Amino acid sequence: MLTDILLTLLKAVGVVLGLLTTFAYMTLIERRLLARFQIRAGPNRVGPLGLLQPVADAIKSIFKEDLVVTAADKIIFWLAPFIAITMALSAFGAIPAGPAGSLFGQDPWVFNLDIGLLFILATTSMGVYGIFLAGWSSGSKYPLFGGLRSSAQIISYELGQGLSVLGLLMLTGTMNLVGIVNWQAEHGILILFQGVAFVTFVISSFAETNRTPFDLPEAEQELVAGYLTEYSSIKWALFQMAEYVNMITASAVISTLFMGGFKGPAFLGETIANIPFIWLFAKIALWLFIFIWVRATLPRMRYDKLQQFGWKFLFPVALMNTLATAAYKAFLPNSSLWYLGIFSVLVVIAMIVFSGSRDWQKVDVKTRAVAGD
Amino acid sequence: MVVFVILAVLAIAGAIGTISFKSGIYSALSLVGTLLTLAMMYVTLHAQFLASVQVMVYAGAIMVLFLFVIMLLNESQMSGADPLPWVQPVAIAGGIVLAAALAFTAFQFKAPKNLETATAALQGGTPGAIGETLFTKFLLPFEAVSILLLIAAIGAVSLVHRQPAHNEALETTSEHATDNAYSDETSSNPAKVVA
Repeated sequence: MLTDILLTLLKAVGVVLGLLTTFAYMTLIERRLLARFQIRAGPNRVGPLGLLQPVADAIKSIFKEDLVVTAADKIIFWLAPFIAITMALSAFGAIPAGPAGSLFGQDPWVFNLDIGLLFILATTSMGVYGIFLAGWSSGSKYPLFGGLRSSAQIISYELGQGLSVLGLLMLTGTMNLVGIVNWQAEHGILILFQGVAFVTFVISSFAETNRTPFDLPEAEQELVAGYLTEYSSIKWALFQMAEYVNMITASAVISTLFMGGFKGPAFLGETIANIPFIWLFAKIALWLFIFIWVRATLPRMRYDKLQQFGWKFLFPVALMNTLATAAYKAFLPNSSLWYLGIFSVLVVIAMIVFSGSRDWQKVDVKTRAVAGD
Repeated sequence: MVVFVILAVLAIAGAIGTISFKSGIYSALSLVGTLLTLAMMYVTLHAQFLASVQVMVYAGAIMVLFLFVIMLLNESQMSGADPLPWVQPVAIAGGIVLAAALAFTAFQFKAPKNLETATAALQGGTPGAIGETLFTKFLLPFEAVSILLLIAAIGAVSLVHRQPAHNEALETTSEHATDNAYSDETSSNPAKVVA
């Protein structure tokens, strides 16, 4: 019993250290990659290839003056970054990184809940408190706008995200993440059969993590730095940490739900496919790269269009996917899963074809008035 | 037992905070604290599913909306005067009746099944066990509640739905340019806007 608790603690500390190191180097990788996308050199002065840049950044943010504006609500101003980082770090513990017992005889996850997926959705939905309490407690206008934007945005896209996974859960019949991965090892990865859900889930994950093209809460051109405006020093760094950790968690969740999680491709044989960590890490790295790629490619959406996209496109499409999967389960039980695969491919093609006709983007005056733009 | 006492104290402290803080934000945050401690109590009672749904729905969605509205309304505009003075005695009476009913239930409560069978049937409060009960034995109440929520949603939409006043500042040319969906929204052609 006591050793169990100690082991769990040890694994939790390992996960936290791993996440924070990844965060530190993600900032460097992101800046280097963005620089390459924009044909510049990027940070390459501190250490070989700029590899010591994160260390320099850490020292700088710790020793900067920690400003608290007079109009700020002191307690909540302090609390907000800690809420953000706590929620971000605790969500990752539920992600399984390998088959049971593959970490020197231990299980390569911090905790394995039957409600694993729900737990991750619940903790990430709590993470929004950090952002919009930061916005409110700063006591000035721009952070408040950023906070309001983020809370409305996250609530809207949470719906699409939740609906996207419903169809997937109907197929797998479990919310346990290890169970979902094992189902995929048996039947084939879910991106094949839940292509529509995959698209909607990825888009809403971008919105949930406040990444471009959905980074309205900190839109520099309009809001200075949004909810971060009044933050400096280590508290600012904590928010950055939370954002990147959320991104890593989102990558891990996408990999686990749709791309076979910790399992490698089956044609390499059971032994190689079961090697812990490397497959999950490779998939996370791929998704982190896509996050950066998208940031370098797409411009930011306007706020009213973001809401319209969430409610009038993402939500109905995710709902339709749920209904289609339910119909498949009800009317074609025991038939090949490939019917769903063909359906997803057709719908995704239709979405790409009709993305040119921007009817859903038409500006609705009411929504804009509500959005406060 | 120790865990329960700690959680109970936290939950009650949050509840007292909810009604005693002057600032709306602090009140709402205290309520979030109470909801979270309740969720933890569910976990100690092996009701995992209920706990995570509690966090997701109440703390993650409903309270975020509450706080959103409080922030939009800007507290400083609130006056000190009580706009509905007759509510307080009614609320006190209602609170006493509710507390009495809860106390009565708590002391009169007899478990419908003995503890071992109930625990076995719960299966650790996993979604499977809850879903099965919800969609077989309690199907009618479940559907009734969902229809109720639908009615509430439609009601809310119809209440706020009205034709917007004509406001040129908020409109852009793309709303009128039906022939060309790609028309540049930033184009500032006043003739087109009026049309």
